[in-house]
Amino acid sequence: MTKKQSVLFLAFFILIAASVLPAQTPPAVFEQPLLVTSAGQSSGDAQIALQLTKKASLTATLSKAGTSKDLENQKTLVLVLGASMKGLGSAGLDTNKEKERIRELVAEAKRKAIPILAMHLGGAQRRGELTDEIINEFLPAAKMAIILRSGNQDGLFTKICKSTDIPLVEVDKSLDAVEPLKKIFKK
Amino acid sequence: MKQAFAIGLVVWAAVLGVACRPQKARLPGPPQDRHAPFNYIGAKGMVVAAHPLAAEAGLAMLKSGGNAVDAAVATAFALNAAEPFASGIGGGGFMVVYQAATKKVTVINFREKAPAATTPAMFRDKGEKQAEWRQERGTAVGVPGMLAGWDYALAKYGTKRLSEAAARAIEIAETGFPVGPTFSQINKDEYEKLLKNAGEGTCYLNGGVPYEPGDVYKNPELAATLRRIGREGIDVFYKGDIAPKIVAAVRAKDGIMSLQDLAAYRPAEVEPLQGTYKGYTIYTPPPPATGGLHILQLLNIAESWPLADWGHNSPAYIHHLSEAMRFIFADKERYDGDPDFVAMPLARILAKDYAKEVRDKIRPDKTAGAYGYGKFDPVQDKKENTTHVGVIDKDGNIVALTQSINDFFGTGIVPEGTGFLLNDHMADFSTDPDSPNAPRPDRRPVSNMGPLIMVKDGRPFLTLGSPGGTRIFPSLGQIIINIVDFGMSLDEAIEAPRFFSYSVDGKVRDLSVEPRLPEPTLAALRALGHKIALKEPYDKYFGGAQGIMILRDKKILLGGADSRRDGVGAGY
Repeated sequence: MTKKQSVLFLAFFILIAASVLPAQTPPAVFEQPLLVTSAGQSSGDAQIALQLTKKASLTATLSKAGTSKDLENQKTLVLVLGASMKGLGSAGLDTNKEKERIRELVAEAKRKAIPILAMHLGGAQRRGELTDEIINEFLPAAKMAIILRSGNQDGLFTKICKSTDIPLVEVDKSLDAVEPLKKIFKK
Repeated sequence: MKQAFAIGLVVWAAVLGVACRPQKARLPGPPQDRHAPFNYIGAKGMVVAAHPLAAEAGLAMLKSGGNAVDAAVATAFALNAAEPFASGIGGGGFMVVYQAATKKVTVINFREKAPAATTPAMFRDKGEKQAEWRQERGTAVGVPGMLAGWDYALAKYGTKRLSEAAARAIEIAETGFPVGPTFSQINKDEYEKLLKNAGEGTCYLNGGVPYEPGDVYKNPELAATLRRIGREGIDVFYKGDIAPKIVAAVRAKDGIMSLQDLAAYRPAEVEPLQGTYKGYTIYTPPPPATGGLHILQLLNIAESWPLADWGHNSPAYIHHLSEAMRFIFADKERYDGDPDFVAMPLARILAKDYAKEVRDKIRPDKTAGAYGYGKFDPVQDKKENTTHVGVIDKDGNIVALTQSINDFFGTGIVPEGTGFLLNDHMADFSTDPDSPNAPRPDRRPVSNMGPLIMVKDGRPFLTLGSPGGTRIFPSLGQIIINIVDFGMSLDEAIEAPRFFSYSVDGKVRDLSVEPRLPEPTLAALRALGHKIALKEPYDKYFGGAQGIMILRDKKILLGGADSRRDGVGAGY
């Protein structure tokens, strides 16, 4: 085998290995405790996120319509992206008020140097005009994102995460997010 | 070599055989785009339902010689297994039956009843927590009527046994099926309630979290419950050992139901309410099902308007109908109750001259702003009195059945080991203890259901119904107008963009619309004073209508099923 052949073989091997091995979960970058809140009032999705953090043995609090005050003593903010008209109605919020609430929360997190983990657990069904507006506006503020693959069929998350250098973890089922959660939070 | 040649020859012959076999003409299947209007076609019989497995269960019953009532109950059972979030044996409903032989229409009312310990102020007294007590606590559970109603219908108008009607549902619950996007999304929306009331280990969650599309949902406990009911009859539910499980589950969540409440439950067979619209006669259940009542009221008001001239979903059309809905809601709030206990001025509400009075209050150039109810002599009428299934059999018998456990996944309370969900229909009572619809012992809460059968020149033309709470009568009214005034085909009428508005205490509420309506239309409506609330393009908020149209001249049946849910038709 010539040197050129060896290099080509090695490159081929690396390419195959990269395509077969699962995407690497980024290293532990977040700390506990964490505040889980909805961005768009799809409250079921926020509850799922809380349940996943429990399964990952993390110390988390859910405040579906959390405000800056709720960030007191928190070390991570989890934004669960997804709009629900029903949820907004139940929370007595309209689109503008909800966006304003999240803007203030994100700004406060930034002031306090609290990193943001974005999650999207609604899948394809939880995509739509308003959800997309929320994703476009708030995903770039995240340090990392964990999403259901079915919610990224059009590559919106990939596109934003690539352009803003945000590590993106895609999972097939919401329960599959437990392992990455365990890995990205410091003990 | 010879062997290879021989094998090749056999394969080739087989291919030729398949290719040359006379092919059955195939009807085109539903289009790729689930929202594109598509009418299912049948010649002898048709079933429409909110889940394909349920529609198939009904069709199998028709093909095996069952009549429309048998097929409706088989479909209803199957819906409990395949669409458990919308209806089931823990709920109730209304069935309209048309008997072809006698041309008689009758209604079976198996709406839930309030337990004996109910008090008028029981929800008002909970203050800010009243929504939780009406929807998620044990006090939310009305005495279920579903099984009693199905059993009554089968015994009087069917030909099959309860066990035969339940057979396909048992198979579905046992073997399971991959959930679709609708199930998954609703499962996520109602997750908190399920987690709280059914618990992490419930079959309504998958490993403690909601189902994703493609996950297989099974409910072996429901299968076992249905098998017992089929074998032992409905007494095992109302008086046997399922009853204490229901009571224990309700009471564990602070409810008030007793064994006596369950044992005392009876369905009622009543005369249908009837009204006319442009030469069609509409039969629908009377109150406490008020959907049909207010469909008739809406159509009466709209009957003299130049709807076709205004144009479908034009600003003028939407404005006038929305205003009519707001006036109807004022009457609804003032008068609707259980007619077994409350005098309702039905004749006046349905009178054409009362419709004119309402019409006269509606201005073409702006919203009224205040919506008063009609003032009637309250004693002029005697005290008489949410998924939808439609079935027609080969003899022309028809069933329109709307049934529900109220909110999706009901209360989320599951009696131990039974696999079925309990309703939250006590939420349909008013919180106002002075309302005609205040919660009181033994009463049935007002329902928005409105299954209907439409007749033209003495012959059935259409059966229709929908879930959707307060949106039922506005949505069904729009579908009927789409067909009668705008000449749409059935599914075109069902899929067309919808709108809804209402009033509370005489005050205007938003005009909710599907954003498929063009922006200039919305701008024109804003200019008339409407505050627009945009929903999803095909929003479940507006219901999930199912219908069957009978085209006698063409000797075909058209089935229309709403893509806002997972509706399908199955004909033969």
